[in-house]
Amino acid sequence: MATPYIEILVFACNWDGWSCIDATANLEVSYPASVKVVRVSCLSRIHAGLILKAFEFGADGVMLLGCEPGRCLFNVNGEYIINEYEKVRSILKILGMQQDRLVLVQLPAFSGYEFVMQVKNFIEKIEQLSASKRVKITGPEPVQDIAVLSQ
Amino acid sequence: MQSVISDTGVRLCLDCGKCTVVCPVTRYDAEFNPRRIVQEVLRLNGRSPVSDTIWSCISCNMCIERCNYNVRFTDFIRFLRHKALEEGAEIKYSHGGAPQTIMHIMAHRETRQDRLDWLPEDIKIAKQSNTAFFVGCAPYFDILFSDLGVNIIEGTKGALRLLNRVQIPFTLIPNERCCGRDLLLTGDIDGFLALARANMNEFGKRGIKNIIIGCPEGYYTLKVDYPKFLKDWDISVVHITEVIAQAIETGELTLGRLEQKVTYHDPCTLGRYSRIFDQPRSILASIEGIEVAEMSDNREKSLCCGASPWAHCGTVNAQIQKERLAQAGATGADILITACPKCQIHLKCAQKNAENNDVCQIAIQDICDLAARSLLPQEVS
Repeated sequence: MATPYIEILVFACNWDGWSCIDATANLEVSYPASVKVVRVSCLSRIHAGLILKAFEFGADGVMLLGCEPGRCLFNVNGEYIINEYEKVRSILKILGMQQDRLVLVQLPAFSGYEFVMQVKNFIEKIEQLSASKRVKITGPEPVQDIAVLSQ
Repeated sequence: MQSVISDTGVRLCLDCGKCTVVCPVTRYDAEFNPRRIVQEVLRLNGRSPVSDTIWSCISCNMCIERCNYNVRFTDFIRFLRHKALEEGAEIKYSHGGAPQTIMHIMAHRETRQDRLDWLPEDIKIAKQSNTAFFVGCAPYFDILFSDLGVNIIEGTKGALRLLNRVQIPFTLIPNERCCGRDLLLTGDIDGFLALARANMNEFGKRGIKNIIIGCPEGYYTLKVDYPKFLKDWDISVVHITEVIAQAIETGELTLGRLEQKVTYHDPCTLGRYSRIFDQPRSILASIEGIEVAEMSDNREKSLCCGASPWAHCGTVNAQIQKERLAQAGATGADILITACPKCQIHLKCAQKNAENNDVCQIAIQDICDLAARSLLPQEVS
């Protein structure tokens, strides 16, 4: 079992994506408690700003869990999310935060086992990344030497 | 509050309303009224609730240009925003808040950026130099706004090629941070200071004494805002157009030939803020074959690109952009030349989101990119 300290945020689309999460409960398979799932109406509602926000707030990895190509309820078929996914990966790379911290997973409906396997692999991969290069989060320093906008 | 009121000269406001007459935002959004904001704060001596309209200001400095008593309204707005944030106001970020998030990650995380991928082999970087070229957010903007077809890094490459040509040695800083201007403008002083300190440490470690910048926003921030906020800041900052214009004047650099009709758009931070009006024009004038047509609003009166610090961008901004592009179109120029990456992004955004093709689709290019391209055919022959 992976250590629970790798914080993973999963954006799951309401349809096939969420059905996988639902299936884990029905199949009585569990995934690590450090995996937090956010249910969204479609992955196309997720944009670069939100994904980056997750990293800003301390997520070690973000998984985008959506429908397989051709199965989108809204016929968007991942065009939008793939574009945003590529953007964020490039930004993570130049920020020095490693682009593999973001993955896009497209699964058939109700694949509970597959989801748990994917998420565990993802955590393992991030553990390796973190060991090689620990990105330390430090809080903002106290405000000092403001000449103009003080008081 | 009282010290800010006196620092920014707000008490001198005569209630004449010139600021409001020239304000490009007021023209399209009557709710936003600089005169009223100032007068209301003064009437209640700083105890008035802050109006929501403070987020509409695009910090173009047009009001300061006209104000007889030099009331620094944009500084004042910045403070009001800072106060509003402290009181729990929420900012409506544009682009999903991605630019701000990137800035916060840079500010509060110890990251080692990998941001020099774009550097072509023909550009020579000095191994050791106390002069640095500050690239700014160009690599991030190119990814974030790839849908708009922006290519900000071409302007940076052009600037570096020109510096190579003039034989000014410079180095690049692999882990430079964003200058933090957008955080400062939205009143996020803590975020701005974290970025400013990180930058100062980075420059200090490398013994940087001079900085050349391509982005006017970064130029003004490093030159004017950093010394105000950081006690130990002692780095001299010049804008690339100053360096190139000087080199042309002394005869160290001769630009090539390009047959084109262009118009120059003054970025607010370079023009009204930093008073650099002539240098970019002299660069353009020294390119043979270039015809420069001025827009109806130019120099001090130049209309803003409708910029915002990536927040509260809306129809008003789009209308300002549309008006500016129409002015550019009216000159009959083939290319709109600007010196600011953000102007490029904002104007291209207006062109892309245009409905019914009512926005002028003029080509937009960076001045350094254009100047460096004028040298290309010469080098081939």
